[in-house]
Formats: sequence, structure tokens, C-alpha cells
Amino acid sequence: MNKAPWGTRTFPWGALVVFAALAALPFTPFMSKYYLLLAFDALLFGAVAMSLDLLMGYTGLVSFGHAAFFGLGAYSTAVLLERGFESLWLCLALAAAVVGLYALLVAYFATTRRGIYFALLTLIFAEVVYTFFRYTQAFGGSDGIQGLPAPHLAPGVAMDTPLKIYYVVVVYLALAYVVCRVLVGSHFGRVLVAIRENEDRARFLGYRVQRYKMGVCVISALLTGLAGALYPGRAAYATPDLMHWSISGEFLIMVMIGGIGTLVGPVIGGAFFVLLQEKVSSYVQWYFIVIGLVLIVIVLFMPKGLLGLRRALRPASWRATT
Amino acid sequence: MDYLTVVLLPQLLHGLVFGAALGLLALGLTVIFGLLGVMNFAHGELYMLGAYAGIVVIGVTQSFWIALIAAPLLVAGLAVITEVTTLRPLYRREPLYGLILTFGLALVFREGARQIWSGDMRRILPPFTGSTPLLGMTYPNYRLFLLAISTLLLVAIWLFFTRTRAGIVVRAAVQDAEMLDGLGVNVSRVFTLTFAGSAALAALAGLLLAPVFTVYPQMGVEMILLAFIVVILGGMGSLGGSVIAAFVIGIAQSLLTLWMNPQRVAIAIFGLMIVVLVVRPRGFFGREGVFE
Repeated sequence: MNKAPWGTRTFPWGALVVFAALAALPFTPFMSKYYLLLAFDALLFGAVAMSLDLLMGYTGLVSFGHAAFFGLGAYSTAVLLERGFESLWLCLALAAAVVGLYALLVAYFATTRRGIYFALLTLIFAEVVYTFFRYTQAFGGSDGIQGLPAPHLAPGVAMDTPLKIYYVVVVYLALAYVVCRVLVGSHFGRVLVAIRENEDRARFLGYRVQRYKMGVCVISALLTGLAGALYPGRAAYATPDLMHWSISGEFLIMVMIGGIGTLVGPVIGGAFFVLLQEKVSSYVQWYFIVIGLVLIVIVLFMPKGLLGLRRALRPASWRATT
Repeated sequence: MDYLTVVLLPQLLHGLVFGAALGLLALGLTVIFGLLGVMNFAHGELYMLGAYAGIVVIGVTQSFWIALIAAPLLVAGLAVITEVTTLRPLYRREPLYGLILTFGLALVFREGARQIWSGDMRRILPPFTGSTPLLGMTYPNYRLFLLAISTLLLVAIWLFFTRTRAGIVVRAAVQDAEMLDGLGVNVSRVFTLTFAGSAALAALAGLLLAPVFTVYPQMGVEMILLAFIVVILGGMGSLGGSVIAAFVIGIAQSLLTLWMNPQRVAIAIFGLMIVVLVVRPRGFFGREGVFE
């Protein structure tokens, strides 16, 4: 088992170096606008996968409905931008409120059940949201809300270039990482792992298991929803396709590719998935076959994901994941 | 009275026909769930491949009837290869891995179909046309045939599971595979053959419904969610429950569209699901405590 993260462990230099490198990335010579936007996607979906890992890896709950949290965040921003409210902070606040309330509702019902039933409840709730947005003309129906202006960080400071929006996502990923890392190392996080390992025993020890599960569901949903709220800043649209259950499946894939229960792994997995999809699709049309095959190979031969690969290559640095 | 024969009765029959086909799909899904403990996300793709295999066979032989035999066999062959190479190594691992693996398989099959047959909508012509006067209305012959053959298949499957040794072995494997292994049955082979059988049923449903619906690579994605709902409603692992739930959902969906738009129908059915999952997760006929 790991020691508690910060406090007993030394300052996380590794994470600092990585984020410094990410901040310096735009100044490398080959970073065109195209690559900046690609990097935005990679980091944004990395952040989403990381928040899903809180549920999957640490609590043992498989959510098949995270696309709804992401999509609701995106729609919150889109609705505000469409109506002329351009403050990014306002967008984030609305996204937090909408996703938070919806997540409370979903978590309240879903956490009463375990395993496959939890997965199916989250899936069905998400399908309700998807169906609602897909057919409601006030939100653009199947076209969604298109052609949005750039959000403003402060009056007059528009996030209108790939460079600016890239830095927004780097900062977001850093903050989300700190939240997740602190959470996982806290007493709350330890209880989550106990629930994953043996829910009944955790209950008999006196923990109110359902409250812990609801808590982590809402936190994970909020982090995903806030990432969703940033998405229209880059894409200038929000469509119901963002909420389709196959997108929730892609989020699961990202976590699995990177390495479940590691936080860092899913970030890598999300980035890897985005880059793979973009790069393979520019060479061949059948990129989903490649992605499917990669997934199958990882499940069969590398159950610990890409991060597990690193550990396998350097057995000396192997540590049990929390 | 007119309303009854012109609107209500045809819609009720549509529901029955759809429910019977849905039952074929859900039966395979629930048996696989019992065996592997995972929802097979690739089941909808096997259903889709059944329709495409049908198109290929009809293209070669010009006969719908040969396709009805050959297409499920082709898909079952693919299922055997898939099961042995990908699912078998996962038996002893957590169900989560199986879930994700089938999701990957679904991606490969769906995209493979799109590459081979393109994404265009296709149709299979029904092997016979015309309609029959029935209870004061006329109903297409093919749909009546569909209802008859699906019902016949469901009865045959019921007989298989209750009256044959092979069927009893499969049910035993669903309940306790380890025990069955201890009794000297080759469990791996049972799993492989059951997977193939469930794939053949899905393929058959796909081909049978193809003349009524359209054939396209995404067709399984829409059906699979409904099939999941049927399996939960019936009680996971319960064969009879799945069939009854399939008829309930088929008829409910078809009747509700008379009074609501499709969006509200979908939301109503999802709402029903949430209530069932929260209040009685074992569905109509699931055993208490199983998978809860």
C-alpha cells in the first residue's frame, strides 16, 4: 500500500515537471494551431478519464453514464454563450449547478445498487438526458447548438485562440489532478478503497457506505461536467452526440487503456485515445477497428494498461496501486 | 369499433411481432449474462451481422430460405472464433474486463461491416408479399410469418432448455460452472457452443426483422439497449422472464406510440426501467440475491 500522498511523502516533483512541460509545449517549433487543438482534446479527455477513475478504479463502481455529465456541462456553456452571456466563470458555475443537481439525483438512485445494476442505472439515466436533448427543439434537437462565440475569461479577454484555450485546459487538468490526488489520499479516499475491496465489511465497520458512494459520484460527475463546460470554448458547439452512451463507453476505454486505479494512467489513456483516433483516422478510414483491436489487446494482455507496461519494464519501481 | 380494428389491433400485432423478435435477441443475451456475468455489448453487432450475412447469402443463392439457415450458421462460426480467442482467456478475471472486451468487439464488428458493405441503408425484400384478412382488418403476410416463426423458435428453445440433456447442462453452467466442471463436463466447450448458439439466435432475429426494418451498420446499437432493458425487466438469467418482458416492452412501445411521440415513449420506457432497477432489481422473475 502507498503511504498517504502529501504530508508524509515528499513534494510531487514529477507532477510539477510534467505540468511545466505541458505549459512549455506551445513554444516548441512544431506546435501549429492544429496540434494545439489536438493537445486540448487530449488533455480535456484525459481529465475526464481521470475523474471517471475515481469511481472505477478507487470505488469499484463502473459508470456507463459519464457522457451525460460531460454533455450537460457542454450544453450549460452553449446555452449561456448563445444568449450572449460570455463569462467563462458564469458558464462553469451554471455547469457545476446543473451537473451537480443531476448527479445528486442519479447518485441517489444508482448507489443503492451494485455492480452491473449500478452501471445500467447510470446508463439509463444518461439515455434519458440524451433523448431529451436529441428531440427538444429549444436546444437545437439533433443538430445541437452550433456556431458559438468564444467565452471570456474577464470582460474584454476572449478565449478566442487555440493557445489561450489550451492554457485553460492545462490549468483545469492541474487543478483537477490536485483535487483527485488529495481526495484519494484523504480518509475519504481510503474509505472508498475499503468499499471497493469489501463493501459489506466497510458497512459493518460503521461507515455510511451509500453516502461515501454518493459523494464520490457527485465529485466525479462535477469534474467531468466542468471539463464538458470547457469543450464549447474549443469546438464552438454542443451536440446531443456528446451524450450518447457510446461516448460513455469511450471514457471507460480511456481509463482501461491508461491503467485503472492510478489517476495518472487514465490521463495518459485519454490522451492516447484522442491521439490514436485522430492520427489513425487521418491515414485509414477504419480507425474504429484499430481502436477496438487496441482495446481487445489491452484487456487480454495488459490488464494494468499503459502505466502497467512501464511498471513491468522497471520492476524495481513497482508499487502496489492503492 | 373502427378505431379498434384500424388503429389499435394492427398496433397490438406490430407489438407482438416486435416483441417476439426482441425475445430471440434477449434470450441469447440473458444466457450469456448468466454464463459470463457480463452484458455482451457485441450482441447487437451479431444481430446486425446476421442481417448482412443474409444479404450476402441471398445475393449468391437468390433464396431467402437458404439465407435463413446459412446466415445464423455463418455468424455462429464467427462467434466460435471470437469466443475461443478473446473471451475464453477472461473467464477467471473480473466481469469488468469482459464488459470492456465486448465493447471493443462491438467496435470492430460495426466498423468492419461499414468497411465491407458501406454505411448505406439496405433492405431485404420479404420472401412473399400480400396480406391476409384478419379480425376485420388486413395484415401483411410476412409479419404473420415472423410472429409464427419467432413463437415457434421460442417454444423450441424452451423445449431445448427443459427437455434435452444439452439444455440442462447449459442451465447448470449458468447456475454454477465450477460445480459442473467438477462433475466432469467440459465447461469450456459448453461456453463456446452456448455463445455460438446465442449469436445464431441474434443473427436469426436480425435477418427475420430485416424485411421489416432497414439494414445498416448502426442497427444493432439501437436494438441492444432495448434488449438490455428486456433482460433486466425479466430478471437477469431468467429465460422465461426475458421472453415475457420482451412481449411487454414490444407491445408497450408499439401501443404508446399511438398517444405519444417517440421521444416520450423512449423516456417512459427508461423511466419504467429506473423504477424496476431501484425497487425490484431482480426484475419479474429473477432469483433474489443473484447479481444484486
